[in-house]
Amino acid sequence: MPEPVIQIENMSLCYRLATQKVGSLKEYLIHFLRGSLEYQQLWALKKIDLEVGSGEIVGVVGRNGAGKSTLAKVITGVLQPTEGSCRVRGTISPILELGTGFDYELTGYENIYLNALLLGRQRKEVDERVDEIIEFSGLHEFIHSPVRNYSTGMMARLGFAVATGWVPDVLILDEVLAVGDVRFVSRCHQRLREFRRAGTTIVLVSHSLPEIVKHCSRCLWIDEGLLKADGDPQGILGDYIEDADLPADLAAEELSATQLDAEEPTEVAAVKAE
Amino acid sequence: MKIQLVRLYDYRDLIVALVFRELKVRYRRSVIGFMWSMLQPLLMMIVLQFVFSTLFTMELRGTGIRSYPVYVLAGILFWNFFSQSILTSMNSLRANANILQKLPVPMAAFPVAAVLSGLVNLLLALIPLVGLLIAQGHPLGYQLFFLPVPILLAAMFTLGAGLLLAPLSIFFTDVVEMVNVCLTLFFYLTPIIYPKTIVSDHPFYWVIRFNPIRSILEIFRDPIHLSKIPPLSHLSVSLAIAVIALGLGAWVFHRASDRIPFYI
Repeated sequence: MPEPVIQIENMSLCYRLATQKVGSLKEYLIHFLRGSLEYQQLWALKKIDLEVGSGEIVGVVGRNGAGKSTLAKVITGVLQPTEGSCRVRGTISPILELGTGFDYELTGYENIYLNALLLGRQRKEVDERVDEIIEFSGLHEFIHSPVRNYSTGMMARLGFAVATGWVPDVLILDEVLAVGDVRFVSRCHQRLREFRRAGTTIVLVSHSLPEIVKHCSRCLWIDEGLLKADGDPQGILGDYIEDADLPADLAAEELSATQLDAEEPTEVAAVKAE
Repeated sequence: MKIQLVRLYDYRDLIVALVFRELKVRYRRSVIGFMWSMLQPLLMMIVLQFVFSTLFTMELRGTGIRSYPVYVLAGILFWNFFSQSILTSMNSLRANANILQKLPVPMAAFPVAAVLSGLVNLLLALIPLVGLLIAQGHPLGYQLFFLPVPILLAAMFTLGAGLLLAPLSIFFTDVVEMVNVCLTLFFYLTPIIYPKTIVSDHPFYWVIRFNPIRSILEIFRDPIHLSKIPPLSHLSVSLAIAVIALGLGAWVFHRASDRIPFYI
């Protein structure tokens, strides 16, 4: 078996929330000396074991606050695990929020550079790709105006265009495919398919079940910090909907949305036709 | 730590971009751009010259001061670099909190960029300083070419302080206020606007003597004001201070960096 791209071993992550509000140094020293520093420990993730192989497309579902975004942050490398380890091989392109790192005073063009550099690219690489990124964002007319004049959708388009301007080894998306107009969303999905063909490993955190069925070969269900289920999307999403305890008609509706056929067969056919 | 330094090097283009952004933001809004940042120290020099020559009539003979305007302007430029860089690097993590929570950027990039942009400002401010030297008929000696050494040491010391304070200011909000107060205090505990000799008999003179900022300030000011290459003893003290400060700052920052995203 080839080495996994994402390897998480017995990983737990704890947010320490001070129960008293210890915002000042003085209070901290008083509490520290008295030995009365109390923390409320919030284990956002508990003993997660996970291996993701090259080219796998993994969907992540779970209730709000279950730990999905925290997992995305750990894989990205923004948060370090409290216990256990998380290793990722290769380049990571995270989109945990669209428009992260945009400087509103700078123009769209300048922000393409700033954002790509924040993602770890070199200036030269950006020089080579900048036209393509503008092309994909579809923001030609506005690219030299300050980003503060952009609409949310425009910012989302620019952010997605920059973050996916290069084919990474691992792409992490946290609830970011829902913004933008129909045309742009379909282009985003198109790009994901391209990445899939290029062998990128994708982690897709989403509340949109059809999105997961459409793209993912594997699904993780995170519940209260635990990895509750890991496997075939259709089956897990069925259980997930059942667990949500929806009224029967809504549950049926959600369930039917997950019954869409995965795209893989048509995809292969399309590649062959080319 | 080694891995972090390598990562910082990988992000060098980002650091350059951050420096440019900082300078752009500072100078874009104003009509005459960077002239403004020149004006402040020059104005302060004129005011101090007036205050000390007419109001308090400070006796300069025997203090070793050749030209008070040159002495004070050199001191103020140094102090501005030091204090502004400390404040911007200390605040740089909070200012970029959103990025640190969403992207795996080496965090030290932000304080480093803050100190580097302060450095660019200092270099630009040397132009009016040279103008003043010429206007005052002050000797323009070859000793000025020694300036890169003290500037480098000052940058190392400042970066060390910034790296030390940036995580502390995130864990404890009142560090920011404390640093502001301390900077005001140190402005007067460093012989910037007065000659060291007028306080040398004071019982608390040792505070000024062992003030590390004074040591670095003097090796910066000597080549400008006295056309003198500082003696090796002063240089080695300053070098030691700069290395210790940078080492301590880098160590604290490294130790704290895993916890920073949880607190911003």
